Amino acid sequence: MNAPVEVTDVSKWFGPLVAVSDVSFRIEAGVTALLGPNGAGKSTMLRMLCGLTAPARGTVRVFGGDPRRDLALAGRIGLVPQQEVVFESLSAFEFVRLAAVLQGVDDPDGRAVAALAVVELDPADPRPTASYSKGMRQRVKVAQAIVHDPDLIVLDEPLTGLDPRQRLHMIGLFQQLGAAGKCVVVSSHVLDEVERFGSRVLVMVQGRLAAEGDFRAIRDLMDDRPHRIRIRSDKVREVVTGLLGEHAVLAVRIDGPDTATVDTAEVARFRHAVAVVAQQVGARLHEVTPLDDDLESVFRYLVGR
Amino acid sequence: MTTPASAPTTAPRTPGALASLYRLMLSTQVTRARVLSLVALGLVSVLVGLAIGRSGHADPLRAGTRFVFVFGLSVLVPVATLVFASASLGDPNEDGTLVYLWLRPVARWKIVAAAALASFSVTWPIVTIPLVLSAALTGAGGTLVAATVAAVTVSVIGYVGLFVALGLRVKRALVWGLLYIFIWEGFVASANSTAARLAIRSYGRSVLTRATGETLRFSEISSPWQWLVPIVVCTAGLAYATWRLSHQDIT
Repeated sequence: MNAPVEVTDVSKWFGPLVAVSDVSFRIEAGVTALLGPNGAGKSTMLRMLCGLTAPARGTVRVFGGDPRRDLALAGRIGLVPQQEVVFESLSAFEFVRLAAVLQGVDDPDGRAVAALAVVELDPADPRPTASYSKGMRQRVKVAQAIVHDPDLIVLDEPLTGLDPRQRLHMIGLFQQLGAAGKCVVVSSHVLDEVERFGSRVLVMVQGRLAAEGDFRAIRDLMDDRPHRIRIRSDKVREVVTGLLGEHAVLAVRIDGPDTATVDTAEVARFRHAVAVVAQQVGARLHEVTPLDDDLESVFRYLVGR
Repeated sequence: MTTPASAPTTAPRTPGALASLYRLMLSTQVTRARVLSLVALGLVSVLVGLAIGRSGHADPLRAGTRFVFVFGLSVLVPVATLVFASASLGDPNEDGTLVYLWLRPVARWKIVAAAALASFSVTWPIVTIPLVLSAALTGAGGTLVAATVAAVTVSVIGYVGLFVALGLRVKRALVWGLLYIFIWEGFVASANSTAARLAIRSYGRSVLTRATGETLRFSEISSPWQWLVPIVVCTAGLAYATWRLSHQDIT
């Protein structure tokens, strides 16, 4: 049986720049997160899923059709694009209603009101969206994407600009849509954000698919890799000697009178040990900073392993 | 928290989709800066028409015809049409809002038609009203007024098709359009009658001179063609824009 979204051997390049290289995957109903650093090719991939650009090689199938050529498919897709701009002269209601009219739904007024209520915006607000904050625009974009009850919802960095409460609300909405049998594809470059989706993950790095599967498995893989940590302390030599004795670190480099860099395979064990050792030797810890915990280094590890 | 209730998606009814697109295009094209600058340009034509009328010219019809061509059909009409028509799809294409129209089950020709209709309906009164006023003020009578309306209408139709397509095809369409208006139409197409036929202004000029009975350089295009060619240019431009909209990358 065909998956709602099937991407087969897809490549896309813009002149000499290879944006997506030989990527294949299937997306089933539920929430799927497309994870990767900036410039990894996520937006290009999402644009191909929506038919906004054609793959240079390979095929993209959405519900069995070609989203680039099959106009009717547009009625089954809702997109939250990455760019912030919307039709600035329109109010939120006018903008979402326009989307409903162009999608040909019955009762576009009612549907626009309902969609705006879902994202907690006031349909009666007469202000043009030009006066909206970034977070409010983001919510309007989500409303126009779901107003026609699409089967595939593609969201490119949809949490950008939202406050923490709104982020939670949106994550809940995506989960609800996924649980309702919709195919929800969310891109993000923020690891913790994706963790909250509790979803299947596709990891893209440098245009390639670096990993795919359940988020927890990928997270474990990420946690198992060696970590590099900088320690600053008034007794740094004593601290690292103690850590070596506890087998909490694999390697040590003294960088200065109060600074050292250590490698550890088990972050949790290291965190516990460093506090115990510091107490034992009477040292003050000024800094314990992971040097490679950013997403870029995680992706580099996934690609290089 | 609830999601919108499921409803069957049907093909948009043509009047609803087209009318909504038309209203949107109007609201995005008509900005205060554009309207004020073009109204100011139109006021210049009114003042010149008044000056011609007050000057006691021996042949006001000839003077008025020349003025409507030199200022109206050569500057005001093409520039005003360029400003609105090139922005109709060019602006959403460049600022990224085109995606909100493109990713809908709406035939591409409807998006282009809405852009063209909106461009025509905002440009036509902005150029016709001051030029009709200036034609009347020259003292040339109803003949020049009627000829002006006809010539302006033919010209706007031709330019709308051309500049809607240009706006979608190139970045900085305003610059390219001005080069076309002043270099190609104003200079190259003035070289001989063959080159003149490759300029939209020639057809408006022909309509103007045939209606007034005056003679202007390269205005000898025969009757059906002076009407037909601008319509064909418009149709071809809109057809190209539709094709382009279907095939280009949407950002």
